[in-house]
Amino acid sequence: MSQARNLVLIAVGLAILAIMPLFLSANLMNAVIKMMIAALFALAFTLAMGQAGMLSFGHAAYYGLGAFAALHLMRAVEMKLFFFPTPLVPIAGAAIGFLFGAVFGWLATQRTGVYFAMVTLALAELLFTLAPTWNSVFGGESGISTMRGASWGLSFGSDSHVYYLTLAWFVISAWCMWAFTKSPLGRLALALRDNEHRVRFLGFNTHVARTLIFAISCLFTGVAGALLAIANEATNYTIFSAQASANVVLQTFIGGAGTFFGPALGAATMTFFARVTSDLTRSWLLYQGLIFVLIMLFAPEGLGGIVSLHARKLRPGGWRHLLLPYLLCLVAALPLIGGLVFVVESIHVIMTDAYFAKRAAAGGAWVAYQLFGHTFEPLGPTTWAIPITLLGVGSLLLPMARRVTAAAWLLATQDQPPPSPRAMLSLQHPSRS
Amino acid sequence: MEYIVVSILNGVVHGLLLFMVSAGLTLIFGMMGVLNFAHAWFYMLGAYVGFTLTRLGGFWIGLLLAPIIAGLAGALVERYMLRRVHHYGHAHELLLTFGLAFIIEEIIKLFYGDALVSYQMPDYMRFAAFTIFETNYPFYRLFMGAVAIGMFVFLYLLLTRTRVGIIVRAATYRPSTVEALGHNLPLVFMGVFAGGSALAGLAGAVAGAFYPTGPNMAVDFGTLVFVVVVVGGLGSVVGALIASLMIGLFISFSVGLNVSIADLLGLFGLGNWANDIGGLFTLQLSTIANSMPFLLMLLVLLIRPAGLMGDRQ
Repeated sequence: MSQARNLVLIAVGLAILAIMPLFLSANLMNAVIKMMIAALFALAFTLAMGQAGMLSFGHAAYYGLGAFAALHLMRAVEMKLFFFPTPLVPIAGAAIGFLFGAVFGWLATQRTGVYFAMVTLALAELLFTLAPTWNSVFGGESGISTMRGASWGLSFGSDSHVYYLTLAWFVISAWCMWAFTKSPLGRLALALRDNEHRVRFLGFNTHVARTLIFAISCLFTGVAGALLAIANEATNYTIFSAQASANVVLQTFIGGAGTFFGPALGAATMTFFARVTSDLTRSWLLYQGLIFVLIMLFAPEGLGGIVSLHARKLRPGGWRHLLLPYLLCLVAALPLIGGLVFVVESIHVIMTDAYFAKRAAAGGAWVAYQLFGHTFEPLGPTTWAIPITLLGVGSLLLPMARRVTAAAWLLATQDQPPPSPRAMLSLQHPSRS
Repeated sequence: MEYIVVSILNGVVHGLLLFMVSAGLTLIFGMMGVLNFAHAWFYMLGAYVGFTLTRLGGFWIGLLLAPIIAGLAGALVERYMLRRVHHYGHAHELLLTFGLAFIIEEIIKLFYGDALVSYQMPDYMRFAAFTIFETNYPFYRLFMGAVAIGMFVFLYLLLTRTRVGIIVRAATYRPSTVEALGHNLPLVFMGVFAGGSALAGLAGAVAGAFYPTGPNMAVDFGTLVFVVVVVGGLGSVVGALIASLMIGLFISFSVGLNVSIADLLGLFGLGNWANDIGGLFTLQLSTIANSMPFLLMLLVLLIRPAGLMGDRQ
């Protein structure tokens, strides 16, 4: 029953992704390509993190290596050294990813937990600091670039060709990774996460197993990197930065590392979020950080965890009890978000050099500023009333919404134990650490 | 000779600065097991508080209030955020502080913009302490070193000679026993976290006036303090001091040395072969100076994960 439903859901999702390019503008299509690449990266990262509990802080290393491998291959084809079909270029990324994943992984998996994270961080930082000085391989600070060659009757000149190429690789890789989680090695990964000692007592060579799992994760990370290289036709050493490694961690945990598709969801959502908000405001990283911290505090299993909790716990028809309370939560959250955004954006405008210059021109007076198409007086009563009202209304509504939702959750799940009252955003238990 | 003496001086001062930032981190990690990713961002916070207060009241007020404000921020973070996620495990705490680092940086950028701010030391401290090989050695470098040494002595005495230090050290090893003896363990944790953050804040206020103060200062330091803490041994203040000095000296020496692996192999008659291969073999030590700390950290993690002075993993 639920398996059939999942299949239908996946088929519908694929169909939507397949016909999407017909309706999308070039800009949006590019955004969807980046979302798919980010989703693939996050899925690959989760293979190591969610499955085997290896928190890697340097996955950008394999992502970047995959991208550089793909670019070198494409350059060789462009210089007519040999022929290689463009759609198969990600194989180069996969090979390099696996190779380096195996070598670096062999080193890193000798340690566990925080120490493992530190080793992966050190390896990625080594690459990041070496790359700009190593001209022949990484093209110095400017990086390397190339052109997509035509092959198989496709020119790969337009975005839609790249779109379908990315989609195909995304679907194939995601399916492979899903199949991997069902394989004996995939099951072993779960066992390693939960109790490595016991696995060792059962006679497995845990070091080899962990290395292999890490390398497979890096293999798909390399594919994602290669796809990025194909889409952008260029890259430079910043792809190795700690920032890039950080991003995938952020996205994965926002999506929920405990579920299979959660990270993909998180990565796609956050990439889209970044794309939209980075055009609108310079403070988008602040909002992204706030979302991350709020999810870490109140919904530690992430978006995917929330979805899967509902799928597991709700009794049939239970969602009817939750519809109104969730709407109430939304109503309570909107003024809070609105108030916060207003404050942040106001500060942002007032602290710019342009505004300082204006004030200086007006003899130090607090001149009016423009925000959201309106003019506000910094010391005017309405300017202060708006955020105070919004935040006040929101914080009054929030405890109410929390209580109502908690009661509704009981009704919707009935004989299940009640959720912790603090966890308003998620309504879930700390089931596992 | 001149090169060696100046390099040693600069390396020691840079190492002492590194120690100031990482001392708090190693205490926090050793005791609570929390690898506080946001630690370098408290250093950044300290520098910006120092900058703001220097403009408003004066350099010394900034120096006094920066650790207090950073410490308060640390206490709030521990009380209202870390404690909440404690039961999800250490990886979760690491991730939370990681998100926090983002937020601190972005809030600072919100107020101060993306450019460097001109945080300057007072003019009466801007003189040469002594002249060495026709180079004027700035007094402020010595001042930074003195603050760091003062901090080390203070920390060492606090941890080994006082009652508070005994409780803190005991809580590192047997937290539940300490609690059973009637000590308020959550308060001790909060105190250590606040204290560690305050030390980072003080380091920021002192160093920010000499080195550039800008939005990148935390990222530049962020991973380096991890190197110090890992190499020195998690939880060991003495180890952190040794590791900081080592890394500081290493960086200051390698910046000025133009040798490569090829030159080294040249001693054995393999120079031409290495030069032909190029790539890694011909990279100058000075250009890869920044990679060296990470190489060191990697080696320590793989060979002796407890670090130089650590006694447990």
